[in-house]
Formats: sequence, structure tokens, C-alpha cells
Amino acid sequence: MTYQSYLDGEPVIITAAVTGGVHGKEANPNLPETPAEIAAAARACEGAGASIVHLHARKENGERAFSTDAFQEVTDAVRSATDNIIIQHSTGGTAAPDELRVEPLLTDPAPEMASLDMGPLNRYGKLTSENTRSLVDRLHEVMLDRNIKPELEVFNGGHLNESLRIIDDLVAPPYINLVFGGGTTTIPHPRNLCTLADTLPPGTEFNILGFGPHQLPMTTQGLLLGGHVRVGLEDNLYYRRGELATSNEQLVKRAVRIATELGRPIATPKQARSILGLK
Amino acid sequence: MTSQCPFLIYRKEHGEQSFDTARAFCTATDSFVQPMRADICNNRYGLTHTTDCEIYDAHQSTLDTDVSGAETE
Ligand code: SF4
Repeated sequence: MTYQSYLDGEPVIITAAVTGGVHGKEANPNLPETPAEIAAAARACEGAGASIVHLHARKENGERAFSTDAFQEVTDAVRSATDNIIIQHSTGGTAAPDELRVEPLLTDPAPEMASLDMGPLNRYGKLTSENTRSLVDRLHEVMLDRNIKPELEVFNGGHLNESLRIIDDLVAPPYINLVFGGGTTTIPHPRNLCTLADTLPPGTEFNILGFGPHQLPMTTQGLLLGGHVRVGLEDNLYYRRGELATSNEQLVKRAVRIATELGRPIATPKQARSILGLK
Repeated sequence: MTSQCPFLIYRKEHGEQSFDTARAFCTATDSFVQPMRADICNNRYGLTHTTDCEIYDAHQSTLDTDVSGAETE
């Protein structure tokens, strides 16, 4: 994945991260929280051009849920509402015990993809999502057993080193999500994106995630470097400065518009499965 | 240790915000709590408001422990 990939007009995979687990309707009332709301958002995003939907589960009051049952409910709702979109479960969960972190992988059927956090991430004043190597290995083992494609969450350059630790065990191609934002994530700057993209292992497919105001510029640059992009209310509550996004679909539509203008066709779910080596 | 932070309540409305389901609300900051932070407020997953919330640190001196006894550990 390089600038040449862009020049060659290779299709771009758009992931919609529709809900997350950090903020909720208190931050943007348009953010879907219930299974029905998440399913409706996934359907709208698929219609707009997303080929992957990244899912978290929540309780009725918006708080985080990690159990297999909670993920089963949301994933069933999304499967019923969508045609062919690739379902990706989050295994993230700051402070949640390791046993719970495995649960999103145990739905029936298993998700086609799941996120795999590659190292520590600070939260608030006193929390750290540790994501120890032991947990990474345990989650990856379950993913291998259940034929789930991991998306490696590289919150900073050190986590790219951590990815190299398991790179030989990954089913090709490795899929790496480069994350830009505040705190423990990589400082959002075009040079940093170029550097990380340049140092990816050969054969890697990569995705760009920018938090908040960095979603638009970082994903746009990612398009030019042949990367894939993730957008949605999990990562960014606003459409532009001071204006809350009205829906996940609105953010997907903008990504589609920009990619199309730049000459990157939008990958269908079928193309995305082929690019990522999904069975 | 109490089962939740003494600053925590659940409510459906505040100012211009309203929700179908009551949500975690921090009376120390007078605002709804992010879902992830609500796990601290509720002392879930081994987290505790006394050790893991910097907001609690900053506001604990305002608690009326004599009246409520809520901070007795
Ligand atoms: S734990 Fe912190 S955020 Fe939660 S109610 Fe207490 S002071 Fe507020």
C-alpha cells in the first residue's frame, strides 16, 4: 500500500465505527447505542459505501457491555438489517478483566473480523488500558481458532513494534490500523502518517483512524497513500468545527465523496473480503 | 467502600439534555458522565471512585461525610 496504490486507483475499504464505548448520547444525541439504533446506523452506512462495521455493545443506559450475550444481541440486529457488510467486533475495554475481553469473539456465528489492541493506552487521569502481550496473544489465539481476521490497533509507533512480534502468525495480509489523536496515540501530523506508512511490514494493508478534528485530514491523506479509512461517531462527534455530525452515514458519505473525487473507487464488501483475505 | 461514588446519581434530564433512559450523572461536575467513566463511578471491574477518578480527588473535600456517612470505609 503506497502512493502507487493510489495512482493505480485501488479500491478503498471504508469502515464505519458507529458507536464505541467511551462517549455516548451525552456527547452527541445522534450516536446510536441500542442494538436497534446500531443496526439502523450500520444499514445506512452500508448503503452509503461502508464495507466494514465496527461494533461495540452497550447497556440500555449507554454504558459499556462486554458479554457474549450483549454482543450477540447487537450483531444479530446488524446482520438482520444489513445485506453483506463485514462485521468487526471490538475487543477493546479499558479496565475490563481479560476474561471479558474475550467474550465479543464468542458469538455465533463468530464475527469475520475483530480489533486487537497492540499495547497500552492511557485514559482520563488514572486509567490505562494495559493490553499486555499475554492478553494480545490470548485474543489472537481465539481469533485464529475461530477464523476471525484481526485488525491490529496501532495506537502509536511502539505498537507497530508490538505488531512485528506476531506478524508471522497472522493470516496474510496483515491489516493494521494506524491511530492518530491525543494522549497515547500518534501525534496527528502528515509526516507521522508518512513515516508510519513507510515502515509497515511488506504486504500490509493499512487503515487510517484519526480522532476528532483529525478524522478528515488524516483519512484524506491515507487515501493518497493507498490506505483504507475508518470514520464514524465512535472516533469523531463533529462534522465540522462546532457542528455535531447528524449521523454515522453523514461521515461515511463524506469519505465516499472525497475518495471518489481522488480517484479511489469504494470497495464493496465482496472486494473488501478479497483485499483482506477473508474466507 | 460504598458500592458507588457518592457524587453519582442517575437522571434522564439536565438543562437541555434529555434521554429515554436514566444515565450516569456526576453531581460534582454537574454533568452527565461518559459511559466509560461510569464504570469508575459504579466501582466496576475492580475500579473504585476513591482510587481511579481524578474528579473525585478534586471534589471529595466538598462531601458532607458527617451527615451522609457515605465515605465511611
Ligand atoms: S467517580 Fe468521578 S465522575 Fe463519577 S460521580 Fe464520582 S466524582 Fe463524578
